[in-house]
Amino acid sequence: MSNLNQRLKKMGNYASVSLVIIGICLIISEFFVHRHGEIKLEDFPVFPVIYGFSASVFIVVVGIGLRYLLMRKEDYYD
Amino acid sequence: MTNITPGLLMIVAAAFVPYLPHHIRQVFMLIAIGFSAVSLFAGEGVHWIIFVFGQELILHNADNLTLPFGIIFHIAATLNVIYGWHERRPMEHTAGLAYAGAAIAALHAGDLITLFIWWEATAITSVFLILASGTQRANNAAMRYLLVQVASGVMLLAGACLYWKESGTIAFGAMELGSTGTWLIFLAFGIKAAFPFLNGWLQDAYPEATIIGTVMLSSFTTKLAIYAFARGFAGTEYLIWIGAVMTAFPVFFAVIENDLRRVLAYSLNNQLGFMIVAIGIGTELALNGAVAHAFAHILYKALLFMSIGSVMYRVGTAKATELGGLYKSMPLTMIFCIIGAMSISAFPLFSGFTAKAVIMKAVGYEGLIYVYLVLLAASAGVLHHSGIKIPYFTFFSHDSGLRPKEAPFNMIIAMAIASVFCIGIGVMPTQFYQILPYELNYQPYDASHIVGQFQLVIFAMLAFTFLMRFGFYPPEISSTVLNSDWFYRKLAPRIGKPFLLIANKIGVGANAFLIKFTKLFISRISYIYQHPVTGPVTPGPAAIALITLLMCVLLITNIF
Repeated sequence: MSNLNQRLKKMGNYASVSLVIIGICLIISEFFVHRHGEIKLEDFPVFPVIYGFSASVFIVVVGIGLRYLLMRKEDYYD
Repeated sequence: MTNITPGLLMIVAAAFVPYLPHHIRQVFMLIAIGFSAVSLFAGEGVHWIIFVFGQELILHNADNLTLPFGIIFHIAATLNVIYGWHERRPMEHTAGLAYAGAAIAALHAGDLITLFIWWEATAITSVFLILASGTQRANNAAMRYLLVQVASGVMLLAGACLYWKESGTIAFGAMELGSTGTWLIFLAFGIKAAFPFLNGWLQDAYPEATIIGTVMLSSFTTKLAIYAFARGFAGTEYLIWIGAVMTAFPVFFAVIENDLRRVLAYSLNNQLGFMIVAIGIGTELALNGAVAHAFAHILYKALLFMSIGSVMYRVGTAKATELGGLYKSMPLTMIFCIIGAMSISAFPLFSGFTAKAVIMKAVGYEGLIYVYLVLLAASAGVLHHSGIKIPYFTFFSHDSGLRPKEAPFNMIIAMAIASVFCIGIGVMPTQFYQILPYELNYQPYDASHIVGQFQLVIFAMLAFTFLMRFGFYPPEISSTVLNSDWFYRKLAPRIGKPFLLIANKIGVGANAFLIKFTKLFISRISYIYQHPVTGPVTPGPAAIALITLLMCVLLITNIF
């Protein structure tokens, strides 16, 4: 494995860990900040956390499904 | 001098661009843009009218809606000149300057006919940005692009004529959907705004343009359509639903697309959806949101296209499968790309946050819960494909083995300026909101909003990390993802081919019959010529033909 690949992997690990820590901090901050949204549903505790995560997973899952339907070879139109 | 339509000077200047030496040409273009911008100071009102065939054509109309668009179009044109400074060929510069000029002039059209003229001018000038690529693939894409754009123009003209007949005016103002004329105008705008199923041209053509060309294209055409909707159809309810679909569906395509410039074209489409929803709502707050978003969007979208363009300039490709690990070779480009990515993902302190917040507030205020939830999900989607996918697959991911130089100096300057704007708009919302059409007393930075937004984006990022770590994320595959251009690139030819074959057969048959008939006719004449019944021999077949014709005429005139 090249040197750069190792370094990229390491960076990836750091990034993942820091994201998890930031995520935990954000959930904790919910107890200190009175968060309210533009619609009532958004006032539900940790709504953006749940919605952001699940929307992202949903998009990727649908994307994978779309691949079967819409993906063709690169020279399809040529 | 301020009476002259902004942009017109740029179009005139473009005619001289090919004849100027390299660096002087770039300076000349900057000066032309500067002089054109002077007309923005004309103030509100009608500044230039001409009369053609008894019709009043308003060439320069300025108000609170044209001004923010005028400002951002001039900024974008300036950035394009700097970004393309290294390019010695004049074609893209000429086309780009004229294209920007035409778009700016279109903003100031006070009537539908003037709008149509500039509308078509943007199509005709911009197609050269795609043609400049010089490949057969680009040529084909350019022709398809031109066909769609001209179709939009023709519909606008037809709509304008019908509208004139219905209402007795060609003034370009707020219209009510209902008649054929207004529907045609609506559709003409819709094509340029890349409505769902009318969007194929955007993802088809933009990634085929040259590196500078794509950056230029990303700024003007679609935002001109957004402006046109804001002026003509603000408060039209259909737009809310169309816009909501527009924000959502390109996201899925962007996730699986391999060409990063095409990913950006999908994300451009999705961003337009936010503006269309806001225009559909049509309140002052919503229109402010649409304009703010268009303004911020032009900058961060150009920045993203610029950064991917810089990578492409150095390594010759923008395909995710062939890129990766460039953060060490092109660190500045990486930083600018991430600033663009954070702006489009609406991180607090970046332009997307301050702009999108206004739209979200307007949607929430109207109580459109489902639309709000769609927009919120689409925001997470934007973060996915533009915020993470673009920088991740280009600069990180894995070692592609590419070790290019950093982007050229001029590209770095252009990206730096765009970045400053992205952050500036993000940190100074009050100043930014002052250029919007209506007064806006809104403060996006409160603890609640900041925490909420951070929760949304960070957990969307965590979802990406989670999917990536556990191998659920779809790997990049070199492929073609079918889009609505499939209908006219594959389906229409497939259905049309048998009909064309039949038509062709009929044509060939009719042609053969005509030839046979003519031959028969001539042989008959020759026969008569060679076998005179009586009298002297006629001098030639021509005379026989003439005599026959004369006889026919006499016969006919006698009968009738």
